[in-house]
Amino acid sequence: MIVFEHVGKRYGGRFEALANLDFRVRRGEMVFLTGHSGAGKSSLLRLVMRLERPSRGRVLVAGHDIARLHPSQVPFYRRQIGVVFQDHQLLFDRSIYHNVALPLEIRGVEPREAARRVRAALDKVGLLHRERALPIELSGGEQQRVGIARAVVNKPALLLADEPTGNLDPQLSADIMALFEDFNRIGTTVMIASHDLALIARLRHRILRLRDGRLVADEEAA
Amino acid sequence: MSREATRPAPRGAHTQRSRSGSRLRAWGRHHRAMCLDSARRLIRFPVGSLLTMLAIAIALVLPAALWLALDSARLLDAELGESATLTAYLEPHVGDAQATRIEEAIAAQQAVARTRLITAAEGMAEFQQALGLADALGRLDDNPLPASVVVMPLDPAPEAVRELAGELEGLAGVEEVRLDLAWLERLRHLAELGHRVALALGVLFGLGVLLVVGNTIRLAVESRRQEIEVVMLIGATHAFVRRPFLYSGAWYGLGGGLFAWGLLALGSEWLAAPVSALGASYGAAYQLPRLGGEGSAILLLCSTLLGWLGAWIAVSRHLSQVRPR
Repeated sequence: MIVFEHVGKRYGGRFEALANLDFRVRRGEMVFLTGHSGAGKSSLLRLVMRLERPSRGRVLVAGHDIARLHPSQVPFYRRQIGVVFQDHQLLFDRSIYHNVALPLEIRGVEPREAARRVRAALDKVGLLHRERALPIELSGGEQQRVGIARAVVNKPALLLADEPTGNLDPQLSADIMALFEDFNRIGTTVMIASHDLALIARLRHRILRLRDGRLVADEEAA
Repeated sequence: MSREATRPAPRGAHTQRSRSGSRLRAWGRHHRAMCLDSARRLIRFPVGSLLTMLAIAIALVLPAALWLALDSARLLDAELGESATLTAYLEPHVGDAQATRIEEAIAAQQAVARTRLITAAEGMAEFQQALGLADALGRLDDNPLPASVVVMPLDPAPEAVRELAGELEGLAGVEEVRLDLAWLERLRHLAELGHRVALALGVLFGLGVLLVVGNTIRLAVESRRQEIEVVMLIGATHAFVRRPFLYSGAWYGLGGGLFAWGLLALGSEWLAAPVSALGASYGAAYQLPRLGGEGSAILLLCSTLLGWLGAWIAVSRHLSQVRPR
């Protein structure tokens, strides 16, 4: 699903964020990406989301070298990926329902079909009863679940998450991770950047460890 | 995982057609939604929206008013063109019978539309009437006035009229041909000058409208920056992001155009009485022109397009700067 071939990324010509990354993630796999802050986790995810292009090497997603996508194709590429952000990136001027419906609106999904899918996604994260609420009325954990619902409402083949449990207490974090596992169980490839080592260790999935932009360990699922 | 990779194989023409049909419907749905949404946002901040629209209206009124005035000057010019006549004064010894023959000869010329003969006696009568000097002139033994032929040329252009005058002067029995074109030419030059000034002002104020709308939309983009970043992260195209702002710009333009239309109507109402009084004093039934249906449509169309264009420029400039974090 994701193949990194000798990928390097420099910013401003000097700072080397990623160096010689070489790995592949199989379809349907669940992978954790870990390391200290500044180790390159976010940079790696940004490459997969095609927010940036590698300075060296190639990033292949579903067999396509995404650096070679024409700028006009990039939006269509991003529609195939669900992304969960640490700070949720919800729109605070619209309801939970409309936040989750946003990707469907962008794709032009017919409203009745969109309503069905939004409710299904909200039901999955346990927030169906809050669909009319505004994000500000929700707790941090609930907001993150809305972010997850928005990421999966398109039924993406690939789900990326950048520190999805960054600001949550251990119990909520475990709940969120359990949600990701559920999506992985139905075939979604999941890649999660997190520095919550204790939690990750308990979950027994493959772990990619980064240090100073290099891959220092690739631990297969126990 | 590009578009091609996940698109199922087409199952024939019917599926293809229904898919492009649903895409078109989705596109139409988004347009409708953004059209209404942008209108609602304008209404939510009525004072700001009204100020923007008024600024646009004021920028539009001046060139539109000048244009109207020139339009009416063109009408006036056409009327004056008809009065571009020549007068051929005949030699004093020419009698009435000969004068009639000369008039016929003139009328036979190709460049001549109409002629009218004024015999010496008729000329005297007109002169007396015009000056109110019947008594004084009546005491003269002889009629000192020559017969004359008033000639209406087919083509009122100054060059053509001048050429015709030369030809008429060559005719036997014609002493002198009088024409006074200088003032007509002056008017034409003034009208030409006015047109160019109007065009320059139109371009200048059109740019003003672009700037007003551009600046307003720039602020709107800035205030919705987070939203733009988020929708671009989840796969919105530039067209999708641009659309609500383009509608806002078009609404501003349309609103400004409507205000401009109202100001023009008010202005011409206010000026109508003195203008027609002035016209009457020159013996002309001159009326201030009004923006007709066509003119109104052009004004509103131009203002809406200017608003749309201003928004397009502002959003496009900012889309290249907004980079999702």
